[in-house]
Amino acid sequence: MTLVAGVDIGSTTAKCVLLEEGKVIGKSLAPVGVELVKDAERALAQALTETGRERREVRVVTGTGYGRFKVTFGQFTLTEIGCHAKGSHFLFPATRVVLDIGGQDTKAIKVNDQGEVIDFAMNDKCAAGTGRFLDVCAGALGFDVSEIGPLSQGARHPVKVTNTCTVFAESEVASYVARGKDPRDILAGLYESVVSRSLSLLQRVGIEPEVTFTGGVSRNEGVVRALDRRLGYPSNVSSLSQYVGAIGAALHGLARAEAATT
Amino acid sequence: MESAVAAEPKFLASAREQQRRMVEEYYEGLAHAGGPKKPVAYMLVGGNLTEIVRSFGYEVVFPEIVALNCAIKHVSLPNILHAESQGYGLDVCSYVKNDLGLQELGGETPFGRIPPPDLLVCSFSGCYVYVKWWEALAEKYGCPLFMLDVPYMRDDRPQAEDLQYLVSQLNEFIALLEKTTGRSFDLAELRRVLAQSRRAEEGWVDYLDSGRRRPSPIEAYFEAVFYMFPINVLRGTEAAATFYASVNAEVLERIETGRFPVPEEKFRLVVEGVPPYPSYRTFWDFFRKWGAVSVAATYPKVGGLFDRGFLHDPARPLESIAEYSLGAYVNQAWPLRRKLIEEYVRDFSADAVLIHGIKSCRSFTAGQGDLRDWLIHDLGIPTLYLESDHEDPRYFAPAQVKNRMDAFFESLAPRRRTPPVSMGTA
Repeated sequence: MTLVAGVDIGSTTAKCVLLEEGKVIGKSLAPVGVELVKDAERALAQALTETGRERREVRVVTGTGYGRFKVTFGQFTLTEIGCHAKGSHFLFPATRVVLDIGGQDTKAIKVNDQGEVIDFAMNDKCAAGTGRFLDVCAGALGFDVSEIGPLSQGARHPVKVTNTCTVFAESEVASYVARGKDPRDILAGLYESVVSRSLSLLQRVGIEPEVTFTGGVSRNEGVVRALDRRLGYPSNVSSLSQYVGAIGAALHGLARAEAATT
Repeated sequence: MESAVAAEPKFLASAREQQRRMVEEYYEGLAHAGGPKKPVAYMLVGGNLTEIVRSFGYEVVFPEIVALNCAIKHVSLPNILHAESQGYGLDVCSYVKNDLGLQELGGETPFGRIPPPDLLVCSFSGCYVYVKWWEALAEKYGCPLFMLDVPYMRDDRPQAEDLQYLVSQLNEFIALLEKTTGRSFDLAELRRVLAQSRRAEEGWVDYLDSGRRRPSPIEAYFEAVFYMFPINVLRGTEAAATFYASVNAEVLERIETGRFPVPEEKFRLVVEGVPPYPSYRTFWDFFRKWGAVSVAATYPKVGGLFDRGFLHDPARPLESIAEYSLGAYVNQAWPLRRKLIEEYVRDFSADAVLIHGIKSCRSFTAGQGDLRDWLIHDLGIPTLYLESDHEDPRYFAPAQVKNRMDAFFESLAPRRRTPPVSMGTA
């Protein structure tokens, strides 16, 4: 039995996954601060506490995400692009395209039947259409980002929201609020805006089923519904969708450990 | 896997030193140029008419090259900001803004003072912003402006009517030079200058061709950019004609001793696009950490596609200059650019293509997104598209660029088109 850990230090949250015998046996998620090394250590410690396992039992730790180089206690690092590909393939083996929308990044990743990256496209120097975008716009509506997912249900006339700039979008939302627009219509417009921006990235790599949706924004059911409507079929969304990068990192570490012993 | 790299990239020691001296001497010389004794012609690199103006005794300044020298020495931003304060927008080409800002600030650079022009030759008309740039300079300095209208290259070979059109313009240009300098056109002198150019071009081609070897003894993008200076700025001089013999002698030494640009060649790349000069070393290091070497690149060909069979011909002076101007890389229609890149991948046994797009240049960059899609989807060649700027440091985000490059190289290993080679094999 080999226990491995994947630690994903993203722009907004730190995630850790413990993997054993092909199963996720523990996980943790917490916001990141300015001390990323400590955030990474804390993420691993919390996941271990949840499972009642000891640090010395973990054979390999692999870091991923923008803060992967801060997982200083790990043995390997891998970009989140490779990890989301690997993790998505693990959860949904027929995945051919991954859409990952995190705190400040949107990634479209084309994968082969082994979960290896064939091509990818990312948003460029702008966080419009990412988790941060929703965060800011939810604030303009007086909500917390964690509660807005279901609130677009019942929208009848979704508004148009720019998808090129988070700051402009926030002003637009404030303007719609001032004009008395139904918050459901504003949220539906926001979700449409997020999906529309993501689709242009997905089209760069080529859309084909199955599409697996990962990252924090995949927890928002309104965005998932808008994506599925535009795709014309349901995307794969796992209950572990925020942990896919960490799962991929753990799998990568496991493969390395196994290769080293054979 | 990514690995630590030596602090400094290895250059061809003598050639790099010689090139450094040539750059210094050139800019020192410029400080004393200008006026009737040694008039200065400003010219664009693409399709330039260096040989003709040299035959009339002009010194040549390429503001694009001054701009990239400013950027690589991290002094481009004040010039750009000054141009923006004068009303030039964020989207305007930052070569243009560097130059116009520099001109307004008095032309002082860390490598010498750039003299104002006595003559402006807009040798590449494919970019409308460049045309406006030259018009702005003409307005500022009140000196003669010659616009060379170069039709886009649409076929493999230049069309007869295009050549005729260009030769007729070259004759007009010569008439203008005779009038402004008071000198008669000296055909023998032009032929002598062209012969010098040809010698440099032949040596440059030999250097570029060595990228076909495995491992590659040259770094055809980052390192080659340094050896571009003589072929672009000093073409037609004796110094440029002899320079490449030294370069190639050192390349041969690299092959014999097995001291290659990267200690272990893991990835062979073809690179398209102008480099991000303000972050040149950082960008290069991202390659070196992955054992990646560029074996061929399009950017070092902006001053001439000499490696595709064209060389200046002293026996056909004006026709040959017309062919050169038409065939400049920047003047090639997209199907020809695509074909060239496809051939580089094949002929230089490359694993992948890296495209670096320029935020402030739509002329050279437009079409690179389609190029990426075509390489990936139609040809199955792994390709990474990155975007920053050639001059403006505000557009280079190191963490984002590194992340994309790391992800690309991670994914490239299992898809490598050619197996890696160990050192010492050819």
